[in-house]
Amino acid sequence: MILTINHETVYRYNTAVTHSTQYLRLTPQSGEGQQVLEWKLELPSPAMLAEDSFGNILHVLTLDMPHSEIRIRATGIVETDAGERMSFGGGDPRPYLRSTRLTTMSPAMIEFANRFRQFPMTLEALDGLAHAVLAYLVFEPGITQVDSTAAEAFAQARGVCQDHTHVFLACCRHLDVPARYVSGYVYSPGHVQDHLATHAWAEVWLEDRWWNFDVVNRCRAGSSHLKLAVGMDYMDACPVRGVRRGGGSELMNAEVRVMQEQSGMTTDDVDFLIQQQKQQQQ
Amino acid sequence: MSAKARFYDEMFAAPGHIRPGYKAFSDWLHRRPEEELAQKRAEADWLFRRVGITFAVYGDKEGSERLIPFDTIPRIIPAAEWEMVSRGLKQRALALNLFLHDIYHEQHILNAGVIPAEQVLTNQDYQLAMQGLTLPNKVYSHIAGIDLVRDHAGEYFVLEDNLRTPSGVSYMLENRKMMMRLFPELFAAHAVAPVEHYPDLLLETLRDAAPAGVHDPVVVVLTPGRYNSAYFEHAFLAQQMGVELVEGPDLFVKDGFVSLRTTAGPQRVDVIYRRIDDAYLDPLAFNADSVLGVPGLLSVYRAGRVSITNAVGTGVADDKSIYPYVPDMIRFYLTEEPILNNVPTWQLRKPDECEHVLANLSELVVKEVHGSGGYGMLVGPAASKVEIAAYRERILANPSEFIAQPTLALSTCPTFVEAGIAPRHIDLRPFVLSGREVRMVPGGLTRVALKDGSLVVNSSQGGGTKDTWVLESALPASGGHA
Amino acid sequence: MLSRTAGCIYWMSRHMERAENIARVLDVSSQMALMPGGLAREQIMAPLDITGMREAFVASGVKATADEILLFFALNPNNPTSIYSCLRQARENGHVVRGKITAEMWETLNATWLEISGMTREKLKRMGFSRFLEWVKERSHLFRGATFGTLQRNDAFHFSRLGTFLERSDNTARILLVKAPAFSPSEERDTAAVDYYQWASLLRSLSAFETYRDIYRDSIVPVQVAEMLLLRDDLPRSLHACMNEITQTLESIQGNSGKEAKLLAAKVHARLHYAQIEEVIEEGLQKYLQDFISDTHEIGARIQRAYLESV
Repeated sequence: MILTINHETVYRYNTAVTHSTQYLRLTPQSGEGQQVLEWKLELPSPAMLAEDSFGNILHVLTLDMPHSEIRIRATGIVETDAGERMSFGGGDPRPYLRSTRLTTMSPAMIEFANRFRQFPMTLEALDGLAHAVLAYLVFEPGITQVDSTAAEAFAQARGVCQDHTHVFLACCRHLDVPARYVSGYVYSPGHVQDHLATHAWAEVWLEDRWWNFDVVNRCRAGSSHLKLAVGMDYMDACPVRGVRRGGGSELMNAEVRVMQEQSGMTTDDVDFLIQQQKQQQQ
Repeated sequence: MSAKARFYDEMFAAPGHIRPGYKAFSDWLHRRPEEELAQKRAEADWLFRRVGITFAVYGDKEGSERLIPFDTIPRIIPAAEWEMVSRGLKQRALALNLFLHDIYHEQHILNAGVIPAEQVLTNQDYQLAMQGLTLPNKVYSHIAGIDLVRDHAGEYFVLEDNLRTPSGVSYMLENRKMMMRLFPELFAAHAVAPVEHYPDLLLETLRDAAPAGVHDPVVVVLTPGRYNSAYFEHAFLAQQMGVELVEGPDLFVKDGFVSLRTTAGPQRVDVIYRRIDDAYLDPLAFNADSVLGVPGLLSVYRAGRVSITNAVGTGVADDKSIYPYVPDMIRFYLTEEPILNNVPTWQLRKPDECEHVLANLSELVVKEVHGSGGYGMLVGPAASKVEIAAYRERILANPSEFIAQPTLALSTCPTFVEAGIAPRHIDLRPFVLSGREVRMVPGGLTRVALKDGSLVVNSSQGGGTKDTWVLESALPASGGHA
Repeated sequence: MLSRTAGCIYWMSRHMERAENIARVLDVSSQMALMPGGLAREQIMAPLDITGMREAFVASGVKATADEILLFFALNPNNPTSIYSCLRQARENGHVVRGKITAEMWETLNATWLEISGMTREKLKRMGFSRFLEWVKERSHLFRGATFGTLQRNDAFHFSRLGTFLERSDNTARILLVKAPAFSPSEERDTAAVDYYQWASLLRSLSAFETYRDIYRDSIVPVQVAEMLLLRDDLPRSLHACMNEITQTLESIQGNSGKEAKLLAAKVHARLHYAQIEEVIEEGLQKYLQDFISDTHEIGARIQRAYLESV
C-alpha cells in the first residue's frame, strides 16, 4: 500500500531553552518491504545528516539561540509491500544478545521466559512467547513512563507497545535469541478516518534472518508497518532524543496523520489536504 | 636487610650480595647518616604536600585530600633488562591495536576461531558504534598502561592491560622531579634515563591521532572536573602540554563539528584526550544522565571529524576475560612469539578450570572480570575460611564473571618503613604511547605495597609509589661520583 | 580563554569587590548608629535598601536593631549579599580556576575564607564590628594587590579587572542613590552637625575624605561631593574612573565578541566624561544614578552573553 504521512512533533517550554541538541530518527530507509518515494524533514535549523551505530538515518540538530519551542515535521510518501517483513544481513547479530539497562531480566521474568526455552528455538515458540507477553502485560497507557524498564513494566503487568517490546526483547535474549527494538509507524484503517501511529515492535534473529514480531498487535509485521529505526532498546531507536539547558518544564505534543492509497500525490498535496481536513474539523 | 628466598629482590641477589645496578646506590646509602635520611624523607613529604598531589579514596570518610606516600628509595632497572621489556611492551601494544581494528572490521581472528566470537561480540564493552569506523593510523589505544610484575626468578609478566583511561603518569613525573631535587648527587653518580619529555611524546601522539587533513590540530583534555580523584593529573598534563583543560559543558556539537566555547567565540576541536568513560561521553548515545560529556559527540566521531583518545570501545580488549588471549593475538597478527608472557590464568567460565579453582581457592587470587582497582577480589592465602566460603558462593552464582591466577610472588624492593629499611612488594606500570609509531619513556610508575607482606599496590588501598630508574649505561664507576 | 574560566575569574573578582563594598556601607551605617536623632534609624536601614534585601530581612523575623542588621550583612549564610556569602562565592569561583590564577591569589582567597568560615557572632562581637570591617577591606586590598602584582596581563587579568570595576561602579552608584535626595539643593537640613557627620562618614567609607579636602579645600558641599564621586576620574572609586577602567579593559580582551558591550560602555563612559555636575543635578541626580545602574547592569548582561555564556 501507499501511505502518505505527516508527522509533527512540537516541544514547548515555559522558559527559554538556551541550548539544545537532538538526535532525530525520523527518516525511513528503502528496502526490506518498503520504498520511500518522497520524504522531507522540516526543522527549525539545518541539521547534520549521518548514519548511526545501528545503520539508521540520523539527523543531529543543534539550536544555540534561546528558543521556547522546537517544531519538527516529517512528511513523505512510502510504498509498503504485501507480505511478512523480514530482513537479511546487517552484520553478526550476536551483539543483540546483550542486555541493557531497560531490558534487564528480573527473577519473575526469568521464570516467565524459561517456559519457552527450547533448542533449537522455533518461530512457533517465539510466537507463543509474544502472545504470552501480550496476555500478561495489559495494554494500558499512563502507567509506565518513557524511561520505565522492562522489569518495572512486568512487575506492574501493564504498559504500552514500548514496554511489551522491551519485555519480549529481554526474554528473547535470555533464551539466547538475538533481538532488537524497532521504532516505526503502524497503519490501521478506520471507519471515519485512517490512523497512523508511532509504534514499537521487535526484530528477532532466527536461522539466517531477522523476523518482525509486533507483540501488541499480536502479529508479524507486514505492509501496515513502516520501519524508522532499530537499536538495542528504545533509547537507541527512539524518534527524538535530546538534551537541553534551561527551558523549565517541557510539554510535548506529537501528531501523526496518514492517508492511504492516494498515488501520484506530492507532499504539497498532502499539506493542502490536511489543511482541508483541519478546516472541516472546526 | 635480607631478601626472603622465595621473592625476587630488586636490590639483593642473595643476602649480602647486591645486584650490579644497585651497587652505587647502596654505597651512597651506607655513607648517609640516619638523621640526614630522616630529614630527606621529611623534606620529601613537605614537597609532596606543597605540590598538592592528592588522591581521593572512594568512601574514605577522613577526607578527600590524602597524600599517596612516596618512597625515596628508587627502583632500579638495568638498561639491558629495560631494552627487552620495552620490546615486549611495543609488541603487545601493536597486537592489541591490531586486535581492536580487526574485531571492529573483518573479524579475522574470530573467524579463525582463535578467540570464541561470543566472548567479543556479546561483551558489554563491544561498541557497535565502532563497527566499520576507520581510525587514523588504525590506533585505538593511544595511551596504554601495561602493568608488569616479576616472579621469584625475576621474569617479567604482564599482569593487566589498561587501555581505557590509565592514570598515574603524573606521579611518575613528579617523583622524578622530587628525587632530582632531594638527591642531586645520586643523579650525578648514575646515568638515569630521563622521563621529563613524556608530555612532549604524549602531545605528539595526540596530534598524530588527528583526523585526516587537519594540519595544526587543536587538542584538549576532557576532565570530569575537580571532584574527580585523578583531577590533578588531568590538569597537570594539560598544563605541561600547553593545551586547554575542558569539561563537558565547555564543548558543543554543531554543523558536524565539535567546538569549544571561548571568549573569542567558538573554536573547533580536533582531538579530545578524554579522561571520562565511554558511557559518559555522549548523553544522546550512551548514559542519558551524564552531564560530563558532550551531546552529539558520537555523531561527529563517527563522521571522522573529531578524534577521541583513547578510542571508544577499547574496553573489550582490556577485559579480564580477553586477557588470556593476548599472547594468541601476538602470534596471530605479528607471527611472533610473545616477548612478555601473561600470568597463568584460569577462566572460570570453562567448567574444568572452574573446578580446579574451586578446589584450590585458598592458594589462588580470584578477580572479577568486570572489576577494577583491586576491589572485589579474593587473595586466597590472606583470606579467612569465612571469606573464602562467601566468595565460593559468588563464584557458583556466576562463574563466567571470574578469572583466577596463582598468588604471585611479586618482586620486592627496599623501602623505608617504621623500623628502617625493609623489602616491600612492587609492580611497574609503563605507559605505552601509540601514534604514527609506538613510543614510551624509560621506566614508568613503580607502585609499592607499604604493608609488610601485602601484595596490594593500589594507592586507593594504601599503596605508595617510587621513582623508577632505567640506567642508561651498564655499571657506573664504583665509588660514586662521576 | 574558556568562557567558563573567564566567567569564574570575573565572578571571583566581583564577589570580592562586593564584600569590600558591603563592608564600606556597613561602616557608614554603624557609625550613624552612634548618632542621636531620628535620622540614625534611616541610616541603619540603608544597607538593606542599597542591596535590596529589606523584604528578606523583614521576612526573617529578626528585630531591626543596628547589631542585628550588621550581623545579617556580616555573617548570615542565607543572605546572598552578606560578606560571608560573598567571600565564600569568591573562594568557590577561585577554586574552579585555581590553575589559572597565581598561588598568591589563591592563597589570599582561601585564607580569607578559612578565617570567616570560622567566625561566630561571639567572636565577631569580641573583635568589634569596626575591626571586622577593616579586616574585610584589608583582605580585599590584599587580593587585588596580589592580582595586580602577580597575574600575567592576559585575558584572565582583564576579566578580573572587569568584574572588579563593574561591581564597584554598581555598588558606588547604589550607595549614592540612597543619599541622592540630600544632594538636591532645595532639601531642608536638620542640624548642621548631623549633616556634617553624615557626609564625612560617606566620604570616609569611600576612602574619599582626604581627597575631598585636597581637591576642594572647602567645607563639605553636596554638589562637590557629587561631582567628585561621579565625574572626577582621579578618584579611583568614582563612577568615571570605573568606566575608564571598564572601557579600556574591554578593548584589551582578545577577539571580537564583545561589540555590543563595548558600544554601551563607551556610551555610558561618554556621559560621564563630558558631563558637568550642574547639568546632572538639574536633570535629577536620582534619575541619573538609576539610569547608570540599569546601564551597568545591561553592560554586565552583554559581557555575560558575549564572553561568558558557557551554555
